[in-house]
Order: sequence, then structure tokens, then C-alpha cells
Amino acid sequence: MIRVDDLAMAYQQEGETLAVLHDISFEMAQGDTVAIVGPSGSGKTTLLQLLAALEQPTTGRIDIDGQALADLTPDALADFRRDNMGIVFQSFHLIDSLHALANAALPLDIRGAADAIPRARAMLERVGLSHRARHYPRQLSGGEQQRVAIARALVHRPRLVLADEPTGNLDQHTGTRIADLLFELHAESDATLVLVTHDMRLAERCKRQFWLEDGRLQEEQSRGLSA
Amino acid sequence: MDFRLSFACRDLGESLRRVWLFCACLVLGVCLVMASGAVYQMLNRSLLSDTRALMGGDVEIESNQPLANDVQAWLAEHGTVSLMQELNTMVSTRDGEFRLVELLSTDAAYPLYGQLVLSPAQSLQAATAKQNGHWGVAIDPVLAERLKLALGDWISVGQLEMQVRALVLEQPDRRLNANWRGAPVLVAQEALNASGLVHPASRIEYEYRIRTTQNAEQWKREFVAAFPDSEWEVRTFADRSERIAERLSQIASGLLIVAFSTLFIGGLGIYNSIAVYLHSKRATMATLKSAGLRDRHIAHIYLLQVGLLAGVSGLLGVVLGGLLAWAGSLVLAQELPMTLQGDDALQAAGIAWLFGMLTAYSFTLPALGKALNVDVASLFRDSQSDEAILSRGWNIATLIAIVLLTALVLIVIPDVLFGLAFLAVVLVCLAFFEGVVRVLKHTAERIEGRPWLLRHAAWRFAVANLHRPDTPLRATLLSLGAALTLLVACTVVVVALLRMIHDTIPEESPALILYDVLGDQQSEVAGMAESYASLRALTLSPLVRGRVASMNGQPLRELNTPKVDWQEMARDEHKLSYLSGNIDGIRLVAGTLWNDSNLAQRIKQAGVDFLFIMEDREAEQMQVQPGDTIGFSIQGQTKTGLLSGIYSQRGIQTRFWFEAIFSDGALDPFITMYVGTVYMDDEEALALQTDLARQFPNVITVRTEELVASAAELLGKGTQGLAVLSAISLLVSLMVLSSVMAAGREKQTYHAVILHALGARMAYIRSAIRIEYALLATIVSVFSIVLGLSIAALILQLRLKIYTLDVYWLGVILAIAASALVFGLGARYLFQRLKLRPASLLRDAG
Repeated sequence: MIRVDDLAMAYQQEGETLAVLHDISFEMAQGDTVAIVGPSGSGKTTLLQLLAALEQPTTGRIDIDGQALADLTPDALADFRRDNMGIVFQSFHLIDSLHALANAALPLDIRGAADAIPRARAMLERVGLSHRARHYPRQLSGGEQQRVAIARALVHRPRLVLADEPTGNLDQHTGTRIADLLFELHAESDATLVLVTHDMRLAERCKRQFWLEDGRLQEEQSRGLSA
Repeated sequence: MDFRLSFACRDLGESLRRVWLFCACLVLGVCLVMASGAVYQMLNRSLLSDTRALMGGDVEIESNQPLANDVQAWLAEHGTVSLMQELNTMVSTRDGEFRLVELLSTDAAYPLYGQLVLSPAQSLQAATAKQNGHWGVAIDPVLAERLKLALGDWISVGQLEMQVRALVLEQPDRRLNANWRGAPVLVAQEALNASGLVHPASRIEYEYRIRTTQNAEQWKREFVAAFPDSEWEVRTFADRSERIAERLSQIASGLLIVAFSTLFIGGLGIYNSIAVYLHSKRATMATLKSAGLRDRHIAHIYLLQVGLLAGVSGLLGVVLGGLLAWAGSLVLAQELPMTLQGDDALQAAGIAWLFGMLTAYSFTLPALGKALNVDVASLFRDSQSDEAILSRGWNIATLIAIVLLTALVLIVIPDVLFGLAFLAVVLVCLAFFEGVVRVLKHTAERIEGRPWLLRHAAWRFAVANLHRPDTPLRATLLSLGAALTLLVACTVVVVALLRMIHDTIPEESPALILYDVLGDQQSEVAGMAESYASLRALTLSPLVRGRVASMNGQPLRELNTPKVDWQEMARDEHKLSYLSGNIDGIRLVAGTLWNDSNLAQRIKQAGVDFLFIMEDREAEQMQVQPGDTIGFSIQGQTKTGLLSGIYSQRGIQTRFWFEAIFSDGALDPFITMYVGTVYMDDEEALALQTDLARQFPNVITVRTEELVASAAELLGKGTQGLAVLSAISLLVSLMVLSSVMAAGREKQTYHAVILHALGARMAYIRSAIRIEYALLATIVSVFSIVLGLSIAALILQLRLKIYTLDVYWLGVILAIAASALVFGLGARYLFQRLKLRPASLLRDAG
């Protein structure tokens, strides 16, 4: 379970304080699918960074499964991400020197799992890329790269999947296929899925939707958000 | 001002910091080309400008006895003749100091070319004339300094005590090696005769110099035709020039090759630097394109920038190279009569600057072509691939620059063969590098899937980086690999030489070396040496001079083989001796030696007078093999011997260059002179030397200690020069390598951020980088060890004939240490700069 209390985030910019997030509190249950929607510059990415423990909040706290992220050292945070999180980036961020299979196996490799490759291969098969396992990122299309990124995010069965505009760099048709895949794979697990997106149709596929504007978060009770 | 020029200047002014590597590589490369070129020009001008004066005439005839009257009459009819008698001997001072000198007596016609300048100013006849019952001498300033002699002091030559009346400030025919082989002492003909050094067995060389208005080669042909059976060595000034020029061009070509290599390695830095610079200019290019500026005009802007950078850097390199050449000329001036002049520097400067410009364009055109060959949208999106294809126009321009550069290498390098060999080596090296890179990439790709590697992600990550598209493997091998190869080869060669001079030669060498011991002095000299308590061994070997007269029954002068001048060969005088306990440590490389039990039988079987072995270079020149029979003409008699084997001498350790060694007894009737070695303590050697000089003034003695000191001094100077060249070359390589690492740092940081975001600890990331650098360091070390040691072995064993093996480990240690240091510092720098901000991965999401 994710519990966020009185979270605030501010940056120092040219001597001035720029507040990005204000008094954000919410809870997410294990297995939830959550969309965070909002206009550009509203702080969506910052919120995702905080959830991914890639940034430290100015005030407030984040607990994941009862573990306060603020209490962890940088190494412990890295371990926490390794064991509990899967991140899907908008720009894929695959490592270009590794082929698809090795990219997909990375989280397991970092953990030192002996069965990293068979599990990565199985995951690539699930995303329909078993025939492209030995291909390098530069040899894959955008959609294929994102499918590898999804495989990498899910291969180690994380409890929390964070996806930042997972279809943002793809055309509509490919984007839909990628979204289908993401929800399909999520359905097979008990992970919590947090999506940051501009895409209303994608957001509506989530069980809960949050609207973020001017750094303030509000949960939409009804479906049919308007951007 | 044209828009393109003004924009190029303004745009460059804003970005100078980004192109420091471009400038630094070019400055250092041009600096070395300039320095090597200027030193070569200086040597060339000084040594070849007047070889007539250096040789003393248009033609020189050398004989070990005076020419017959009819020959002298012929010479007098065909030009102006000057006779110089030359004898190597020892001189001593009243303080008991001894030195080997070159005693010269001249006639009134001397010098035929140039001018002899004495201090105080006077004629040579006046300086050397007999005054108050004593003859005078004019001595070389180097000798005066070494023996601490001043005008009016006395020196003993043979049985005479002579007064120093003049110092020779300028001697047109002073030998280039006079400082090492014996400084000249000029005496009157009568003084030489009165010295007691002239007798039938003494080794006086009679040099007849001829000044003629006729073509020297034609003169030589007519002389040889007039006296076809003569045994004198005849040389024209052109032969002499050719010999000097050949040696000079080899040395200069060697220096220039190091400089070109540095410039070539620097070219990689230039390419990297300009590629990074142009990448940073993509937005500017895109803006200019979208504003309507044609591609051609944008190309002009950046070509102008390259020209401006290369031009200014080249000038700076020329200035630095000029200073380096000037410093080098000061060192050389201590050994050779020469100074750096403006003309030498100007010509070298022009060439070096041109090299800089052509190198800059050869390496920047491909990068420029790739940068400009992209559409505006891609430039704005920053999505250009590294594999962008060069258009035909850019390919042709690059090719033209490379062809011009290649042509300039061949035009400038004194020895075209060296130039061609250099270009061939560059091509072979590039192909070899490419082959090595491909093999390594292929291997890396293959082993990436191995089960062991699959369980060690940090290792797999490092191995994968070896075969990624923009792997630094190629650039690293080319830059650091080439520089380390040079460093390893130079170090091993220099250390082997230094060790030989400081340890091996003193350990293995006799304390005294004796030359010109007359036959009837042999037992007395031996007795004198044996009277010293510390004497450990004394060896005296005969030295007989003879010529080759026939080969396998055919007179040498009648042989007609392409590329072999048998006439010249027939005039060559050979030094012959016995094995005498292998006085000079020769090594048999082909055939066999004889032994007492089979000698007589083999001589009888072959129907010859004796068996002999021949020195390898001589045998190669004469194209003979073991089993051939050769007739020798010795003191008017011809003796035939069977070539039993071929031997090699020990390079710089050799004290006596014998061209052939005969079976015992064969030379007995002809022995008039001996050479020898004395093993004893150094202090007693000095005393024996003094005794010998007093009692046998004709015997030349050289103490090994002195030889070693002067060799070490010479080598020290050479080592300093090599060290400067190697250091500059290594500096350029390190800069190139740092540029390669800097270009890769962005990618490494990006990968590290991804790994960190996926949950990798910093220690894990550092470990992956360490493994990658360790792999690169290992590859570079192995590469430079193999190539560097091979080059060193070739030079040491084939050229210098030093067969010691216990210096090669030093090259191994050096390569490993240098690689570890360079990559260690690189990794340390990277870790310091590695700011992991995984949040940046999400920033592009908005």
C-alpha cells in the first residue's frame, strides 16, 4: 500500500523558491490502477519522481508497504527500487549496447538472479518480442522499444509499476497496443500501477484518476475527466 | 566583411573553449614536424653544402703506401694534387695524460678547398715548422680542452716532444666523428718522419686529394681505366655526399616518422574534437538553414573556422617546434660543426604549417560532411545518427585532402623508401587495428551470452560496451595503443643500450684494448702486461690486411653480377685474423667451424690452402655461401680458402671488425701486426697504458672506462632527444584518449543513470565501469606489449645485435603501468564527474 502525507516539493531557481507540489495526501491500495492527469507543468512528473524515490520531498512523507522512503539510505533506496518498482519511461531509455533480452533482464541481473535470462526471455515472449531478443535498441521500432521497456519494468514482478507517459512518443495505433499490453500484464499481477498521462482514454482505463493542477492533487470521483 | 567570414569569426569566438583539443593536438603535431624538419635542414645544409671541402678534393685516392711515380705523374697531369698522410696514434702530455689522436701531415697545396684558420693567425707551415730545435703542432680545440693544453705547452708524439703553436679554429676536412675517433693534430711532413712512427709495418694512410675542372665521375673512370689492376680506394665527392646523405636521410626520416605518427594520432583528437564541436553547433546550423542560408554557404562558414583554427594552431606549433629545434641544435653543436640558421627554420616552418592545415582538413572534412548532411528537422530534433553517410562531394574533398597529405609526406621525407614504408605501415596498422577491433567486438558479442557472463551483470555490461556502435575501442587502440607501442619500443631499446654500456660492457670488456702492436713487439708487450699483478688475461690476435681476388676460381674483376660492383669489391681491404680464443665474441650463424682433428683433412679434401669464416654483412654483400672457395690477395700472394661458415659480430660491443677469420697457421707468413685485449684492474690499466705509451709509442691503447664514459654521454644526449619526442607523442595520445573518454562520459553517465533508476547501487555502477576500463587497459597493454616488444626486438637483435632478453620485461611492466595509470585516472575522473540524477530520465515527460 502507498500512503502519501502532506507532501510538498519546491525547487530553488535563481534564488527564488518555486513551489511545485502543495499538501498532497492520498492512499493507494495494492493492485490499484491509478492515473495522474494534468496540464503541462502541473507537477505530474515531479510526483512520479517522488514516488519512485528519485527525488526527496521538501516536506511530507511517502510510505510504501509501511516503509518510509525518507528513512532509507541512497543504497537502500536503490535496493528498494530494484526489489519493488518497475519504471516505464516515455523515452524508453533502453541501454543501446545491450540487446533486447539483456535489457529486459537488467533488473534481475542487478539483483543477481540466476534465472534472469529465462525469465526475461519469457517476458519478451509475453510482449511479443521473442523473435527480436537478440536485436539492439537501434534495430527496433519505437513501439518495439517501448515493449522491451515494459518487459524490463515487469520482469522482476514489482509491487509498484510507475509509467511516465508510456504512450507519449508513439502513434495512436501503437500507443493503444502498448496500453493494452500494459493493462493486460498488470491484470496478471498484484502490482499497483501508477500512470502519468495526458491521454484521457488511457486515464479512463484506470480504476482511479487524480487531477493535478498548480501543484494540488484532487481525486476525480466520476469517470470522464476533461483535460 | 563577407557575412560568412564575419559569422565564422563571431561564432568561433564564442566557442573557443570547446575546440582546445583540436588546437592542442595540432600544435604539438606541427611542433614535432617543425622541430624534426628544421634539424634535418640544418644537418643537410651543414654536412652536404660543401662535401668537396669536407672530403678535401673532387676525388680522393686512398692507399697504405705512397703511389708509384708514374701514378703521381698521371695525377699531376690531370689536376692539382695534395697529399695528406694520416696516422692514428697516442699523444701524451707532460702531466702523463694520454689521448688517441689523428696525426695529419699535409703539403703546401693543402687545403684544396676551403680555408684552414689557425689561432693565433699564421700559416700552417709556420705553426708546424722546426723552431729552436723543436717541431710545432696545430691541435684541435677539443683535444686542447680534454688534455688541458694551452699554446706553448708540450706534447709527445712518438719519440718527439713538440710544442703546441696553434689551435685549429676551422678545418674544412675535419672528420664528423673526430670528437670520438681521435681529434686531429697537424704536423709537418718532416716531423712525422722524425717521430719514429713511420716504418714498413706502420699503418699510415696516404690520401691523395685531387682538384679537377673535369667531371669527377669521368675523372674516376679514366683513372681506373689507366690503372685497371690498382688496389687503391677511389672516391669522388659525390660518393661521399651519397654516403652522408644516405645516413642523414635515414636519421631524419626516422625523426620525421615519429613526428608524422604524432600528427596522425593527433588527427584522431582533431576528428573527435571537431565532431563534438559540430554537434554543439547543430542548433546554429538548423537556424541558418531555416533562415535560408544554402548548405554550401554553411559549409564555407565551418570550413573557414577549421582554416582559422588550423592556421593559428599551426603557427603556434611552428614557433614551439622552432624553439625545440634551436635547443636540439645547441646539443648537436657540441658534437658537430653546425648552427641553426633562419633559412633552415623558414623552410621547415612552411612545410610543418602545410602539414598542419592538410591534417586538419583531412580529419575534419568527414565530420563536417556528416554534420551538414542532415535535414533541418533532424537538426532541430537532435536525432542525427552517428552512422550518417557522407555525400559524394564530401568524400571527394576528403580524398583530395588525404592524397595531398600523402603526397606531401613523400615529397618531404628525405628517404622515399622510408616514406613509402611509413605509409604502408600506417595502412597495415589501420587494417590490423580494424581487424583487431572487429575480432574483439565479435568476441565480445559472442561471449556476452555465455552462462558465466549471464550471471554477472556488471561484467556483461562491460563486455557489451566493447561492441556497442560507438565503442571507444577503436579510438583507444589507435591513440593510446600507438603511443604506448612507441614508448615501450623506445624504452626497451634505450634501457638495453644503457645497461650494455653501464653493466655488460664494463663487466665483459677488457680494461685495455690494444691496436697496432708490431710483430716484433708482441712478446715485449705481453711481458710488460704480465708484470702487473692484477692481470687476469691477455689476448693478442694477428691483424693482416688482404683483398678478395677470386671467387670459386673466377677472378673478382671479371665477375659480372647485377647490383654488385665487383671492381669496387676487389679494391676493398679486409681485416683478417685468427680465432685466438674468440677475442671478440663472434657468433656463428651459418656453416661450421673447424677443429684440430678435421682441419687438415678438410683442407686436403677441398684442395685449398686453409678454411675460413666470413662476417655476415660481408658475405651478404659478396653473395657467398659456406662451401664457396675464395682467393685472397695478401701482400702480393694469392691464397685460396674454403668458406666454412658465416659469423655475426656483437654490434656495439665489437672492438675489432674482422671481415674474415682464418684457420690457424694460414696467416703466419704475413703477420706484421697484432691487436689485443688486456683484462686487469682499472688502476693498473692506467699504469700499463703509461708504460706502453712511453716504450711503444706506435701502440694505440684505449681504456674501456673512457670509451664507456663517452658512449654513455652520447647515448645520454640521444636518450634526452628520444625522451622529448616520446613525451610529446604520449601527451598527444593522452589528450586524444581524454577526448575519447570525454565523448564517452556522457553516454556512460546516461547508462549509469538508467541503471541507478532500475535499482543499481553506486558501487555496482562503479564496478561495471571499472571492469570496462580494466578490459580496455588489458587490450591496450597486450596490443602495445606485442607490437612494441616486436619492434624493440627487431632493432636490438637485427640492427644493434644486442641479444639480451632481460630488458623486455621492462616493456611489459611499463605498458601495464601506463595503461593502468591512464585508465585509473580516467575512471577516477569519471567517478568524480558522475552526478547521478535519475530524475532527469523523467524530465522529458513534461
